[in-house]
Amino acid sequence: MPIHDQSYRRYAGPRNEPGSAWLVIAAAGIRTLLGRKLFLAVMLAAWGQFFVRAVMFYLSANFPTLNVLAPSVETFRQFFDIQEIFVLFVTVYVGSGLIANDRRSNALQIYLSKPLSRVEYVAGKLGILAFFLLMVTLVPALALLLLEAMFSASLAFLLDNLFLVPAIALYALMEVSLASFTMLALSSLSTSARYTAMLYAGALFFTAAVFGILRGATASSMLAWLSLRANVEQIGDVIFRLPPRFESPWPASALVVLLLIGLSALVLERRVRGVEVVT
Amino acid sequence: MSSPHEPPPSPSRPDGPSFLGSVARIYDLSFGQMLWSRRTVFMVLVVGGPVAVALILRLLVSMDLFDAGGEIDGRPVNIDGPVIFGLMIWGFYLSFSVPLLGVFYGTSLIADEVEDRTITYLFTRPVPRGAVLVGKYLAYLVCAGLLVLPSVVLVFFLVVPLLGGSVGAGFPDLLKDLALLAVGLAVYGALFALVGALFKRPLLTGLVFIFGWEPVVIVVPGYMKRFTVSYYLQGLVPHAMPEDGGVTSLVLRVLQANEILPSATVGLVGLAVIVIGGLALAVRLVERREYVLEQ
Amino acid sequence: MSAPVVAAEHLSKWYGQVIGLNDVSVEVGPGITGLLGPNGAGKSTLLKLVTGQLRPSKGGVRVLGEPIWGNPRLFFRLGFCPEQDAFYERMTGMEWVTALVGLNGLSEPEAAEAARSALDTVDLLDAADRKIGGYSKGMRQRVKLAQAIAHDPELLVLDEPLAGMDPIARRKVIRLIKERAAGGRSVLVSSHILHEIEAMTATILLMHNGRILAEGNVHTIRDLIDEHPHQVRVRASDPRGLARGLIAHDDVLKLQFEDGAVVLETDRPDAFYGRLTEAAATGALGEIHEVSSPDDNLQAVFDYLVK
Repeated sequence: MPIHDQSYRRYAGPRNEPGSAWLVIAAAGIRTLLGRKLFLAVMLAAWGQFFVRAVMFYLSANFPTLNVLAPSVETFRQFFDIQEIFVLFVTVYVGSGLIANDRRSNALQIYLSKPLSRVEYVAGKLGILAFFLLMVTLVPALALLLLEAMFSASLAFLLDNLFLVPAIALYALMEVSLASFTMLALSSLSTSARYTAMLYAGALFFTAAVFGILRGATASSMLAWLSLRANVEQIGDVIFRLPPRFESPWPASALVVLLLIGLSALVLERRVRGVEVVT
Repeated sequence: MSSPHEPPPSPSRPDGPSFLGSVARIYDLSFGQMLWSRRTVFMVLVVGGPVAVALILRLLVSMDLFDAGGEIDGRPVNIDGPVIFGLMIWGFYLSFSVPLLGVFYGTSLIADEVEDRTITYLFTRPVPRGAVLVGKYLAYLVCAGLLVLPSVVLVFFLVVPLLGGSVGAGFPDLLKDLALLAVGLAVYGALFALVGALFKRPLLTGLVFIFGWEPVVIVVPGYMKRFTVSYYLQGLVPHAMPEDGGVTSLVLRVLQANEILPSATVGLVGLAVIVIGGLALAVRLVERREYVLEQ
Repeated sequence: MSAPVVAAEHLSKWYGQVIGLNDVSVEVGPGITGLLGPNGAGKSTLLKLVTGQLRPSKGGVRVLGEPIWGNPRLFFRLGFCPEQDAFYERMTGMEWVTALVGLNGLSEPEAAEAARSALDTVDLLDAADRKIGGYSKGMRQRVKLAQAIAHDPELLVLDEPLAGMDPIARRKVIRLIKERAAGGRSVLVSSHILHEIEAMTATILLMHNGRILAEGNVHTIRDLIDEHPHQVRVRASDPRGLARGLIAHDDVLKLQFEDGAVVLETDRPDAFYGRLTEAAATGALGEIHEVSSPDDNLQAVFDYLVK
């Protein structure tokens, strides 16, 4: 009778290549969030506009009298404008605790004691937030474009506005990158998800309020680059080949966005450490 | 170890402090905690922003870089100090700082203690749980008022004299604005204290309310807008804002023409109902709720 | 028997689908009572119900003759030292205890005096004006205890009060608890370590899987333990020499050898450990590197009792 060793044995199966551990973090985070009913409700609400627009596309394609509902480039630009509030809610819900909760429970030390680099850890956390943000921006926008072609049984709109595909992708990537990096950086600065959420919402609306006051007082929108939201909107107009809505130069807005992403990356580099060295 | 514990003279008092006495003691305990917490940094940023903007405006005016005439949405407007001050009260304090502070502090009154796992120490003392909530609410109100109101006064003196504005003439409006903001802090604080007691994720609910629900519903015709705080606050605004033909008055006239604004009486009654009803419900919820702390 | 300080009747508590406490009916008399059980046994849940932090899902609990849930006045007579290591970190020990005892209706000078006395009792007066954030783990445990005793409650409820304390502080706290009982106060104290409880009281409640498994005198429990053979693993330089020395005594029932160690079974651990300590001190049976006792814990007793 063959005797089997019942004692502890090391894992001898195949291992993932180094550099792919971020996928494990991202997948686990995504699975966790998909299990929360409240979050699913937020996601469903975020897709509300998609369904309304889809109905409008259907009606305009099938009932000539309702041609006023037909899509245009502006339609897709407006779609992103309205989605902004859901981008905020998803960012706050998903992002605020991503690193803060790990710092609070000292899980960061455990993560970084595994064969996992700091970059992979950040990439995993970014992956969770970016996934859900893309689900409320890029995915519904592209799906709408596809629906338009299907409902009208014609590729005319798509071919006439082929630039919309890269425009949607570029705009969504910019919006998602800015939201993900800044939120993650704020999350790394605190041990409280609630505090992080307030900081993020505060920064967003504070800069918008400053710009609003200065705009009202100076009767000019030259200072639009002061507002996080206005920067995204300004660049968005350029990406969608529409006249910019503010007087400030769009490269200034692009510079602010790039600087914020860079600053956030720097903060993450400084803050995501297993052990904090106080000098 | 020292000598055996000598109990202090009659330390246990079966009569104990009344509800109001308990509120006062919780207030004493919480005020310092709240004022010197990390949240104060956030709060200073929120109320320091308008002061910084006011300083920038003064600088622009002193360098003659400021154009007092301009257009908004195609309408010519004459801008002076009181108009800018009105804009800041409306655009900064009422629409942003006050609701945000209300959300942040109101939802945290109990949640902070639960998150820090210190709620046990308060709930195992002979004070009603409701007194804990009300005491903390009062601490928030004083704390927020002490930071917001001086900021408004500072902005008033920095901005109102600009471009020919008169501090003396605008002073009564300042007092009304201060009262309005104090009411705003009280109302939003009470509402979000209720949200904090009611929901598991009160912060998201609060943000959805102030940045999702209020801005949208307030312009929807019908009764929906009555389910916002800003609707009732707007009823008090014309009495506190400069009515000089400036931008704010223009906006308010449009709102009034569309019957969006309630009367001052309706506004006051509505706000009182929110404060009293919100706090009463929050107290009831806190009294009945169990708080299971994470280990 | 005198009136119980705590009386639970068919007390149950569940968190969603997880049962924390399962149909517990028990009476706790005056004096010191130890609540003993492994982690997850339901000790903390029972103490949270006793201190009115949780509402029973079923059944009821009375403390000092009154229902506790929604009855804050009872906290005049009750002091609680929770398990969690949570404080207002920026306050000094003195400020914190004064503020909390002030909630008992004492005037500020009275509260300060009560706090000073309590901090003195737990030997923390020297550090009273330092911020709690700078306290060591043992000091934090003691300041937590100070806030619980500052108003001199009739019933003191302590959830794992000795965790994180060094041996000297443990001894002092144990003495304090005994002194309170001697002064006519009652103490309900939880721990998962038998000898900690044993040092404080002979009256225990044994909990396991959300139920009361046994109650009464600790010596009865000890007898159960003693009847249940213990395994002891001794790593030594000469395991066979050591085994020769130990097997001569009839409290060693069985032995077997492992790599560099001998594993023995004894039905009288006290006598066995006494001899082993002596052997280690004199070196008579060779050098002893390590002694471990894989089943010398409550779990083994519980398993034994449950079977």
